[in-house]
Amino acid sequence: MSTSTAVRQPRLKLKKTTGDQLFSLALIAPTLLVTIVFIIVPVIDSVIKSFTEYKIKNIISGAPGEWNNFENYIKLFEGGKLWPAVIHTLLFVVGVVLAQFVLGMALAVILNSGLKGARFIRSVMMMPWVVPTIISALVWMWIFQPQYGLLKYAVSVITGGAVSDFAILNDPNTALLGVAVAALWKQVPLTTLLLLSGLQNVPDDMLEAATIDGASRAKKFFAIVIPYMKSVISIVVSMAIIENFKQFPLIWTMTGGGPSESTTTLAVLSYREAFVSNNLGSGAAVTTLWMLLMIVVVAVYRKLFQAEDMN
Amino acid sequence: MKRVLALVLALCLALSLAACGGGNSTSQPAGGSETGSSAAEAVLTEEITIKFANYALLEDGYTEFWEGVKSGFEAQYPNITIEWVTAPYGEITNQVINMAGGGDMVDMMFGELDWIPTLEDAGLTVPVTSVLTEEYLADFYPSVLESCKVGDEIYGLPMYISPFILYYNKDLFEQAGLDPNTPPTTYDEMLTMAESLSKLTTADGNPVYPFGQTTASVAVSGASLTGMVYNFGGTVLDENGQLATGNQGLKDAFTMLQTLDEKGYNPQNAKLKDLRQLFATGQLAMYYDQSWGFNGVSSINPDAASFTASAPALKGGSGDGASILQGQVLLYMDNGDLQREACRLLTEYMLTEEVLVDYITNITPAYPAKQSMADMELNPVLQGAAGSIDNLSSAPFVAAQADLNLELCTLAQAVTVSDTDVDTAIANFEKTASGMVG
Repeated sequence: MSTSTAVRQPRLKLKKTTGDQLFSLALIAPTLLVTIVFIIVPVIDSVIKSFTEYKIKNIISGAPGEWNNFENYIKLFEGGKLWPAVIHTLLFVVGVVLAQFVLGMALAVILNSGLKGARFIRSVMMMPWVVPTIISALVWMWIFQPQYGLLKYAVSVITGGAVSDFAILNDPNTALLGVAVAALWKQVPLTTLLLLSGLQNVPDDMLEAATIDGASRAKKFFAIVIPYMKSVISIVVSMAIIENFKQFPLIWTMTGGGPSESTTTLAVLSYREAFVSNNLGSGAAVTTLWMLLMIVVVAVYRKLFQAEDMN
Repeated sequence: MKRVLALVLALCLALSLAACGGGNSTSQPAGGSETGSSAAEAVLTEEITIKFANYALLEDGYTEFWEGVKSGFEAQYPNITIEWVTAPYGEITNQVINMAGGGDMVDMMFGELDWIPTLEDAGLTVPVTSVLTEEYLADFYPSVLESCKVGDEIYGLPMYISPFILYYNKDLFEQAGLDPNTPPTTYDEMLTMAESLSKLTTADGNPVYPFGQTTASVAVSGASLTGMVYNFGGTVLDENGQLATGNQGLKDAFTMLQTLDEKGYNPQNAKLKDLRQLFATGQLAMYYDQSWGFNGVSSINPDAASFTASAPALKGGSGDGASILQGQVLLYMDNGDLQREACRLLTEYMLTEEVLVDYITNITPAYPAKQSMADMELNPVLQGAAGSIDNLSSAPFVAAQADLNLELCTLAQAVTVSDTDVDTAIANFEKTASGMVG
């Protein structure tokens, strides 16, 4: 018998629960690190900068911004651009999210109804979603182009030449609608796919029981399908709200915020303040307000639409 | 075993993330401590790399010229290497700023005249007088250098220039019964001619717009609108860079835009690229553009040279048709005497007739910025507007120039697509733009 086995060192032994907790902590560490480094720190940094005079020269010289007595916020509230931007943002988000949900659900129901070629349609339908946003914007700009665009031509042909100057992006009353159409084209496919997966998880036995009980299609849809899909709908709509709140490339490329600022949303205003005016502090102030508004909207939505466990 | 494996994977992820954030700048140290004449001697012998930020390398048609500059210069100065720093047009300033923020500053940059105030305000660029001699700069048109000033210093050196000039379609003029060799010289003449031109249609029945002035929400449209204000003898900023919206020229220019819109003469809310497309396809009889805009026209219609001619900007109100300078400029950063000296050699190599002639005659039609190159061959379509160079006004810069330009577009859209009266629109412009100046 050797001495090493005779005098065995006592092993450090943790309680099982402590070991499990440490193990969980180690597993979650990368996620925590990513969240802190790439989300929490930049958000805090941005909020701090929103209270300072912070311009490009601060980036170059490494000098911190100077506290400027809420001047960024005061200028924003007095400048006359903030409230129209808030209204345009809310209009865009509410309009697109509602239309996106209705269209997505309608398409999902159609694709779930045993339609011949549904798998093929589902594949083709995803194409707009995989097209880069900038390319989508350019394609729609070409379609909407007022002098030689496809839509102008189509409207002219359909109306027999009665409407020959249809220009959706040139009219301040319709420009946001034009951008919304492009946003819907791009976003509806993913919504449809997610809702379709939710639809396919609605238990058939419940639907069959309801059919035997004589429930109409509408009754089954609203009393069984929708409640069973609540958690999927909740996620889909939350994602859509966030996606459209932060929609920038589509709007900037298609209209640059015009005409007459009619498509200037908070995203566009933030970009203009930070990277066109080169006033990063003011841009951060818009971003802070924008983030707060988004948090409120998502919180209200989550409160109104609390998912229930159907089981 | 599974736990150990999961832990190792998590550790790898965490370590790889930490590694992502640990990059150090690999920039070379600033170019030495030599000063004055010692730098001039050292630049001929020491190994030097010029970091040159240039978006044009990524654009079709321009790469050959710039690679030719690199190979020609490096052959002449074998100890100096040009290292390109590239990014798309819209991203190059952010690229240069971010690099400088990370301690890696480029030595030179090729860019737009309108980028000067942003880069000067950022403390990135140095006056060109700290790179080039007074004697060398004396060869440039004084009005051209004046247009590159921020305060009393010149911060950019134009490689080639153009005011906003009037391109017109000689064939359409002829079809409308107008003399194709007599373009309008005033806005009133233009309106008279527009009446005839507006009756034309293309072969496939599309209407012909008589006149094009860009008003879409992009910064260059704002620059073009500023040029139009100068045509009327007006101004947007006074010589101190403060808003000057009370002048008659500014009001006259936007009243003219409203008139053009009411008559349906000007394509609404169009970008320059839309106007080029319309002009190239015979749907636009005349329009304002930078000289190199013809490049875009001829890329759509290779026969465009056969029907295109140019003329100086129109005179309006009490104005004399003055325009503002547009140009592509060289900007310099301070990485030490040796680097500046190398930039001087590169500049002097590039801005010669021998190197530039093909580029500004055929590739990007423009006018030379140097007086000694005044007699060089021009692209034939630019001949009609050649006198424009003598009627340039210097528009003052502000740091938020690009945003101010966008605000001018909003003003133009207010009097056109939004049907706001001119006085109200100017008052609204003053309110929003006042926060951008001073």
